[in-house]
Amino acid sequence: MDRNYSRDLLEAIQKADRAGANAVVDAWAMGRSFHRVIPELLAPTLETFGKLWAQGTGGVSLATGYVASKVAEDVLSRLLLESASRETPALPAKGPVLVGNVEDDFHPLGRKMVAAFLRAAGWEVHDLGVDIGPAQFVDMAEETGARVIGASAMMFTTAKNVAKLRDEIDRRGLRGRLQLAVGGAVFKLRPELVEAFGGDGTAASAAEAPALFERLWQQALTFEPAPGGMRP
Amino acid sequence: MNSLERVLAALQGQPSDRPPFLLNLSLYGSRLTGAPVKAHFADPAVFAEGQMAVRETFGPDLLLSPFLVSALGEAFGSRAGGPLEQAPNIRAFAADSASAALRLPLPDVDGHPRLLYLRETIRILARKYEGEVPVIGLLVSPPDLPPLIIGLEAWLDALLFRPEEARALLDRCTDFFVQLGTAMLQDGATALALTANLANRFMVPAEVVTGLSRPALERAFSQIPGPIIVHHGGCPLVPHLADFRGLPQVVGFLVDAGEDLAAARAILGPGPLLLGNLDGPGLADLSPEQVRGLCERALDAGSPDPQFILATSGADVPLETPPDCLQAITEAICLAGGGLR
Repeated sequence: MDRNYSRDLLEAIQKADRAGANAVVDAWAMGRSFHRVIPELLAPTLETFGKLWAQGTGGVSLATGYVASKVAEDVLSRLLLESASRETPALPAKGPVLVGNVEDDFHPLGRKMVAAFLRAAGWEVHDLGVDIGPAQFVDMAEETGARVIGASAMMFTTAKNVAKLRDEIDRRGLRGRLQLAVGGAVFKLRPELVEAFGGDGTAASAAEAPALFERLWQQALTFEPAPGGMRP
Repeated sequence: MNSLERVLAALQGQPSDRPPFLLNLSLYGSRLTGAPVKAHFADPAVFAEGQMAVRETFGPDLLLSPFLVSALGEAFGSRAGGPLEQAPNIRAFAADSASAALRLPLPDVDGHPRLLYLRETIRILARKYEGEVPVIGLLVSPPDLPPLIIGLEAWLDALLFRPEEARALLDRCTDFFVQLGTAMLQDGATALALTANLANRFMVPAEVVTGLSRPALERAFSQIPGPIIVHHGGCPLVPHLADFRGLPQVVGFLVDAGEDLAAARAILGPGPLLLGNLDGPGLADLSPEQVRGLCERALDAGSPDPQFILATSGADVPLETPPDCLQAITEAICLAGGGLR
């Protein structure tokens, strides 16, 4: 009987078993081309995991989310290594997009997890780090051509700085063309703050960030189509 | 009845003249005194004045030491900072891994200036309100200390992938916690209130809770010579209350806004206090009428329970909260007791 690798990978992640998860990936890769690991194994598994996380079911905790992001990083590292040796692109390029913690926010974990899940979904991610001011975010978006900014804030006090980023986007006339995804503990606890501080959307968990960025990217394109059929 | 008698009555499940209440107004004291926030969180006398103003203005039945967990990280060597109008937060950690943190010296609870700041506020408030108002010393439990020393990511790495290092750091944090908690109680704190987020299944898997965090809590709490209140710390607490049941010295649980108090009581049985569940950070966005309505509903939900204390959940009440909104809580409480007392 065929092994259900996706179920096994999900179980390993739910047990916070990073080594076990990598062993499932190794077993899956036996006799298969590794460049198919993301669309065929990792992405669908993370999607299921994201749903469990959002529902707060299946024994999912912040720590298992962290393990899932580490497994995604492990797979990506290996994929990049294999692609380099074959001189073929590792992933279809989506983006670019930006992520960063807003001004005065020094809680990087959620942002790093979002970056890992986005990269595993094929996005070109520019991770700006912590304590990023509004001008720095928007300068970087203009420089890279990013259409989505992912702004992270953990607490109510720093989440208020998302509103400053909203103002900066609008002040430069980029509303719509540059979408603002917001996330962090405070937005999960108080979803009404997403709209109040000017966010264009949020996700219930880091694992659901790729779907949110996809939606926001498409939304941005309705304001200004990509030149020359830019991805995605 | 005075506030201490009211709280003791709740602890014993006895009736009182009105429901006791607690407001997390650690930061808000600076608004009432007009002191700069920086001085508020640096000078014990300034902070204590803020709590006295809180007591005079709104009359809560419990007062608090500074809600300043960054000070605990600073004691280990982390750096804190932040905007002028907010309590400082950790900006750079003392070490980058559990193994590196094990090489840090244990902070001197009788000598480190940030710890002395916390302790002196308790001494001032305890002297002022002895026998009248309980003063609560705010801390974090041993599993929640490493995120202030090495950051959450490095701590999760240790808890999940290097349990022996995690256990060793937990042991060191337990020693520090016991020294500081004991000192706070000797300084006059009536009880300690603390978070235990990294012992909550919302944050870490069951194996970590049962194998590392809960044993650390048991060892730490059994050495504390006074009562302890466990705060939800931003995590849902009620679904995981069974993990905290029976811990030594724990006399109460402060649950998150919106959590089901009756469900909490069903899990705990009689004995511990239940505190909650007004959304403190959300008060800034409400009108006094809305706050009054929320209080009435919270009191309705809690009043069948003789061991209930109305309290703001979550973090500090924001500075921009209109005083009228907090006054509405006091009025609702007095009304529930049949008039002003």
